Amino acid sequence: MVGVLVLDIVTTAAILFAVATGLMIILGVMKLINFAHGAFLTIGGYAAYVATSLGWNPWLAIPFAALVGFLLGVIVEHVIVRPLYARPLDAILATWGLGIIIGQLITIGFGRQVQFVESPISGAIDFLGQSYSLYRLVLVVLALAMGAALTALLYFTRFGLNARAVIMNEDLARGLGIDSTKVRLLTFGLGAALASMAGALITPLISVDPNLGLPWLVNSFMLVLVSGVSIPGLMVAALILGGAQVIVSTYFSAILGGLTIVVIAAVILRVRPQGLTSG
Amino acid sequence: MVKTRFGIWVGALALATVFGSGGVMSAETIKIGIPVGLSGANSVVAPSVVQAAELAVAEINKAGGVIGRQLELIVADDGSGAQGAQKAFDSLVFQKKVDVLISMETSAARNAGLPIVNRGRVPFIYTSFYEGRSCSPWLYVNAWVPEQQVAPIVDYFMDTKRAKTYFLIGSDYAFGRGMLEFTRAYIDQRGGKVLGEEYLPMDGTDWTAIISKLKASGADALITSTAGGAPNVTLTKQLRAAGVDIPYGNLAVDEGTARNMGADAAGIYISASYITDIGSAENKRFLKAMMAMFGDDLKTPNDLSVPEYEGVYLYKLAVEKAGTTDAQAVVDALGEVAFQGPRGRIQMNKQHHAPLTMYLAQVQADGGIKLINSFKDVDPGEQCPNL
Repeated sequence: MVGVLVLDIVTTAAILFAVATGLMIILGVMKLINFAHGAFLTIGGYAAYVATSLGWNPWLAIPFAALVGFLLGVIVEHVIVRPLYARPLDAILATWGLGIIIGQLITIGFGRQVQFVESPISGAIDFLGQSYSLYRLVLVVLALAMGAALTALLYFTRFGLNARAVIMNEDLARGLGIDSTKVRLLTFGLGAALASMAGALITPLISVDPNLGLPWLVNSFMLVLVSGVSIPGLMVAALILGGAQVIVSTYFSAILGGLTIVVIAAVILRVRPQGLTSG
Repeated sequence: MVKTRFGIWVGALALATVFGSGGVMSAETIKIGIPVGLSGANSVVAPSVVQAAELAVAEINKAGGVIGRQLELIVADDGSGAQGAQKAFDSLVFQKKVDVLISMETSAARNAGLPIVNRGRVPFIYTSFYEGRSCSPWLYVNAWVPEQQVAPIVDYFMDTKRAKTYFLIGSDYAFGRGMLEFTRAYIDQRGGKVLGEEYLPMDGTDWTAIISKLKASGADALITSTAGGAPNVTLTKQLRAAGVDIPYGNLAVDEGTARNMGADAAGIYISASYITDIGSAENKRFLKAMMAMFGDDLKTPNDLSVPEYEGVYLYKLAVEKAGTTDAQAVVDALGEVAFQGPRGRIQMNKQHHAPLTMYLAQVQADGGIKLINSFKDVDPGEQCPNL
């Protein structure tokens, strides 16, 4: 039972991490809470649906979803977010509206019903003496790879250097000749791509319908706020909050478990308003 | 493309509803009010319900109507909830002055509408399966209650699968809890044992901890009753991903949802009063007529839409028996008439509820439904002893 509990915690944390990274990247660089994050998760789920119903290999659905998310993200940044740079609160409202519009467009295009998406792998394997869901274990590997790739992108590339400069002081970065508009454009595209990819990643475990992203939105916010906007911080936050959710669900009640992330995040932010990592 | 055209169809229907009520025949027609969840939780199934009513009305009108008068449908969106239902019932009963209400709705909407029905004194035929024990002199129900649905699955698991221990999983709302409470009592009564009963909030999608508990319990069989749509799909997917392969009875899945879940739904046992597979002449004729009337726009007939079709016919027979549309006379006649429909012979003569033939079926890998057993005229039990 303890073995299963540990696996439940680690895999839940991996899913939460994957789902929240896109939101964190956009918040970190652009200081913008992207309320359309849930809608981009939904887009990823439908991208996976389109890809697999075209007969593609289900694994291909994941990069395809990322590509769709990136392109849509770039368009959205250019058309909706950029004109509102000087009005950050309005920009947040605009992303909220955007989320509603995307949800309705998906409903018009695909209908309200649940769509069937083929899974890349299914079933359970014996792992550490437990029979456990193979796909959830694969998700842990994929989430770690996502974290590593993002870290590499931020610390070993020119884009990452520019992005970090914009995070620290946008005016100064611009003064040094960094094209912060381009950094913002690519960042929003990257965040949308990550969200969309996460949406495709979780389709084997969830229902692909126009409300796919909604339940994940609030938990993603909580994680990102608690993380203090850093990749290791987000991993720790996912482990703590996801772990608490699993433990409460297992030993008390799954109904309370659903509240755990929000409650614990509120407590952590009361004690450490700056989040877990930023100092 | 089908879906886009379907959207237009719904729009046209809404317009028809608005303009139809003031139409040419209004003085002579018998008005049937249909408060139904065109938006909200029931929006996936509601169009199929409206189609079923439209077919019944078209057939009856073509054959000369009822006591020489044509039938007219008035559809109102109840938003699948209490607030919308109050508006919908109010407008149908007091403004449109319908002669009868015949509809599938959520329990919340029904409970909100019932006081208005009692005040307005109109017959109300409720055509949705539900948790049972909703009673009013004006209310008749022609769909199943837990007493009728649960027994076929539990009996089959006990007798054929030799399952002694059970695990129950549901969504935390009236229908989910009501069904599982009844299931637990029935399992106890049959000498089985319930090892665990777990719930997630209605919008919950993460079943991780519950599934681990299920696996640790070592139960012989699983019975679930979630909210329709997403919770049902997420639970089934996560069960399959976790390699759960014990007999799995699902009290909340319909044929259409099972099809959409694809291979993950394979093996699930369902219990219903209607499946498209029913081989009777009435069902074959019904399916053919639906196909002829709606073609590509046809929404698959199901356990929520077929009772609507039969409800319209039961009303027709009651009016003919009473010889009038007078509400009291029709209500008195409703329990006495019987209609031979796609689900078999339906008569709402058991405390305003109907004995029903129930079908135990199993979802196949190709999404089809295989009939395993049928149970003739299962009694609804004590629903409204005071009526």
